[in-house]
Amino acid sequence: MTQKNLCVDIGGVELKNPVMTASGTFGYGQEFDGLIDLDRLGGIIVKGLSLLPSSGNPPPRIIETPCGMLNAIGLENVGIQAFINEKLPFLNQFSTPVFVNIYGKTVEEYADLASQIDSVADIAGIEVNISCPNVKAGGVAFGVDRRAAADVITRVRRKTTKPIMVKLSPNVTDIVAIAKSVESAGADSISLINTITAMAIDIETRKPVLANITGGLSGPAIKPVALRMVWQVAREVKIPVIGIGGIMNAEDAIAFLIAGASAVQVGTANFINPRATIDILEGIESFMNKNKIDDIAELIGSLKI
Amino acid sequence: MKSAATKHQEIADIIWNKEEKPGCFRIGLTCSKDYANAIPGQFITLHIPGNLSPLLRRPFSIHRLIKKSGRVIGIELLYKVVGGFTEKLARINAGDQLDLIGPIGKGFTISNTTRKVAFVAGGIGVAPLIFLADAMVETDINLSDSIVFLGGRTSDDILCASVFTSFALDVHTTTDDGSLGEKGIVTQPLEKWLASNRPDIIYACGPMPMLRAVADIAKKNSLPCEVSIETIMACGIGACLGCAVNKNKQTDTYQHVCIDGPVFDASVMKNYLWS
Repeated sequence: MTQKNLCVDIGGVELKNPVMTASGTFGYGQEFDGLIDLDRLGGIIVKGLSLLPSSGNPPPRIIETPCGMLNAIGLENVGIQAFINEKLPFLNQFSTPVFVNIYGKTVEEYADLASQIDSVADIAGIEVNISCPNVKAGGVAFGVDRRAAADVITRVRRKTTKPIMVKLSPNVTDIVAIAKSVESAGADSISLINTITAMAIDIETRKPVLANITGGLSGPAIKPVALRMVWQVAREVKIPVIGIGGIMNAEDAIAFLIAGASAVQVGTANFINPRATIDILEGIESFMNKNKIDDIAELIGSLKI
Repeated sequence: MKSAATKHQEIADIIWNKEEKPGCFRIGLTCSKDYANAIPGQFITLHIPGNLSPLLRRPFSIHRLIKKSGRVIGIELLYKVVGGFTEKLARINAGDQLDLIGPIGKGFTISNTTRKVAFVAGGIGVAPLIFLADAMVETDINLSDSIVFLGGRTSDDILCASVFTSFALDVHTTTDDGSLGEKGIVTQPLEKWLASNRPDIIYACGPMPMLRAVADIAKKNSLPCEVSIETIMACGIGACLGCAVNKNKQTDTYQHVCIDGPVFDASVMKNYLWS
């Protein structure tokens, strides 16, 4: 058996393999200690962080739906400084690059977060979250408007030399237009998709199930939508694309690579099987063996039409 | 005080899965020896391998440890068929396998000075209280002054009464329809008993309205009270933060049932529990 090359470059960050964890589904990494070997991951993207600690939305925050779940956590997090001081040291024990997902209520907050991260050597890159559907201000408001999205990325770009990944919302009319806009503004890579805005209703009480009324749909239910959007975006931008959305197993991950993703993020699957990322990585390796593929690059964007 | 076991994921073999009362099952599964350090009140999550409908893992309190020649070889869970997951679980047979993660969360506090306890259970909520009583008996706490209140809608919801009586515990039963024990709700005999008794602590597990009523009674009587709270949960390991419950409504702070609980000091959760 020849040595397989699984390395991918996602906009200035070299990953030893294309399997990353999606923000909000992997805590700050420590939650999975003892369950998986974090060294084996291609990349870790931590829970979305804001300037100050945030307590998130009132409960109920989650509900299961057919082939998926809705969440409206509301970006509960410890704040950027507590993350750097208390959470990052744990992650530094591992060779896996750490990406910090950031969100702000204003453009200034995004810029401020970027400048605070810029000097932290142990952070490999920033994932700019302009797509959270569950916070009142900021979040998705920036992600559904081409100019607002570009404005956030321009301001973040000025404050940091770290690689910038931009996480896009699927809740838009033209995903390609947003992708091109953030590319021009200086993004190094694009990750998509965040959750699809959705809701559930309790017919007995006639109330929304989630206290936030709406939430974000994730899980296998959204995979075909995500795959379509990744394919649309990957053929129109020059920067690497990272596929996210309902990836449960290696077959799903490989489909995203074929669609044009240079790497994938595994999200909801972490809840069902904490080993999902490792199982997916091993599944990709056996697929490469079976199909005599020596370099993962042979798979990326290999869709035949 | 033994140190808590660290959570891990394993494939468990089903030892038995039998219906105890209509719609109520006890399932025995093999587990690593680490469960010898599990604390009563801690829980596990299950996934039926290869089955993505329902999608998410489901949490269950540990009901009892299964021992062979003094060594822990498995855990037993007590569950009621309430939805898609438990319907599938009920069809699992001895020899089948389940994906098991545990032990997780904070359990009940057992103090060496405890002499007199009131256990209050609503229906299937009795599950972790048996593990608790087992552990207390094992640490030579004499429970003969203690008491158990079991409540349910009908006699089918009254479980494990004989286990408590085997520990020489006095068991009071209430049902909504009067089909077993006293007709009424479980907090009625509890309040009556408290008029002339003062336990060191009240341990409770059951539906939220019952837990709220018990917490109120404990507060009124200035008694320590620990409750095991159930919520919807996605990851069960503190990653998703989906299982938040209000700790303080004024400051909008939350506790997470999977890592801060599921057992809470009732006074800590006053906004959630006290009326």
